[in-house]
Amino acid sequence: MRIDPEKCTECDQCVDFCPVTCIFEGDGTYFIDEDECVECGVCLLDSDCPTDAIYMPEDSKRYPRSIRAAFSDPAVQYPEELFPDLKQGGRGTEEMKTNDVTGKFGRGEYGMTLELGRPGIGTRLKEVEKVTSKLSSLGVHIEDDNALYFLLEDPEKGTLKKELLEEKVLSVIVEFKIDKTQLEDVVIDLSAILETVDTVVSWGLVTRFEDDGSLPVTERLEKLGIQVRPNAKINLGMGRPLVEE
Amino acid sequence: MSHSAHRCGTVKNLQNDYTIYARTSRFVNRQGCGPKLRKILEILLAEKPVNFGSSHSGKSFAAGLDPKEYAESLDKAYAIACCFSDRSAVRNVLEKLKEADTGISIVVSGLIDEVRNVAWELDLKPHSALLSLGIHGRKELLPEEKILEVTTMCGHGLVATHLVEDVMDKVKAGDLTPEKGAKFLAQPCPCGIFNLHRCIEILKDSSITDSENEENKS
Repeated sequence: MRIDPEKCTECDQCVDFCPVTCIFEGDGTYFIDEDECVECGVCLLDSDCPTDAIYMPEDSKRYPRSIRAAFSDPAVQYPEELFPDLKQGGRGTEEMKTNDVTGKFGRGEYGMTLELGRPGIGTRLKEVEKVTSKLSSLGVHIEDDNALYFLLEDPEKGTLKKELLEEKVLSVIVEFKIDKTQLEDVVIDLSAILETVDTVVSWGLVTRFEDDGSLPVTERLEKLGIQVRPNAKINLGMGRPLVEE
Repeated sequence: MSHSAHRCGTVKNLQNDYTIYARTSRFVNRQGCGPKLRKILEILLAEKPVNFGSSHSGKSFAAGLDPKEYAESLDKAYAIACCFSDRSAVRNVLEKLKEADTGISIVVSGLIDEVRNVAWELDLKPHSALLSLGIHGRKELLPEEKILEVTTMCGHGLVATHLVEDVMDKVKAGDLTPEKGAKFLAQPCPCGIFNLHRCIEILKDSSITDSENEENKS
């Protein structure tokens, strides 16, 4: 995003709307630090600029910068030329939301979601690469239905396309599955790598409920020092046809 | 995406915060889902949700989304998101959805124990969960917890920390009512899962002065 200095009246109305705090007062105008801007569009859409001084420049629509809006503004679709086989909208996949009809996550496995940049900090893609390369070294297959997969240069190594590494987005979700037996090893390795990234990470785990409604994974996680929050997203099994094991 | 899985808060103030998500699968039941989504929307609206919408609609009910126009647009949609602030409304919705048997997956975010108990009351069998294992990495970059309780109600992260701080200051100074403040803060979140009722309570709580807090404690 950019502010037209000819139109800006320095009313400062847009400043607080920026989720990544990159609008500043300059010499006779406010300006957006375009290196920090994630192109989420909130300043443009919601700050109600009295002179319409905020706009999205053409540079922001060109690759590689175009990646920013795709991973920051939920109204922006992934450009087909960059994501030719991606049939999924949004930053993540259907994950557990439709697990009752897809059976994507079985009883013998867990899904993992690592959302880098969330909440409200944003992330450079080079931070995402730290995680994807570590996962690849552990033999983990990164979900290929997720938009992130299309940013990978080498899915086997978990490396991202070099021209994207300095791009900044509001968040990226790394999704993958593990066998239940791998939980302890993966959590220990991931906990270590997450302490090295220069952003925050919201970590999620997908599991099936046991027949009695319990979630035994919480005890295993607590033994590893991972506290499970009391609130969660729960698929109630109302989809049809229901996939059961 | 996991946009309602990581809402920050205490057990107490998450007690009245539920999101309901009706989601089709492109592998199974998306084709021709419009009429079913409209039926689900009808059920949700009958229980007076706090907010609703979806990213395809571009704006939420709190930001002016018209329910009739939204219903018509559902032929091009694949999901509906909605939030409620009381358990009985959620129970009523789920009871009616069970009866309607649309075959569309229904996901409820909220306190695990509460959601599970509501499901059991209706003979529903919870299938899968996305658990939140918390925030990791550079947590020192985060604002204080009270701010996070508001900002994380928009899962896409579009409600800015400084906007919340500004509204909290104005409410505290008596320049803005908590109701107007909550409506203002809901604007950037297009999906309709920003819970205005919960936000009002958080704003009221934050407007209590430190001395009043001390008095309440004693």
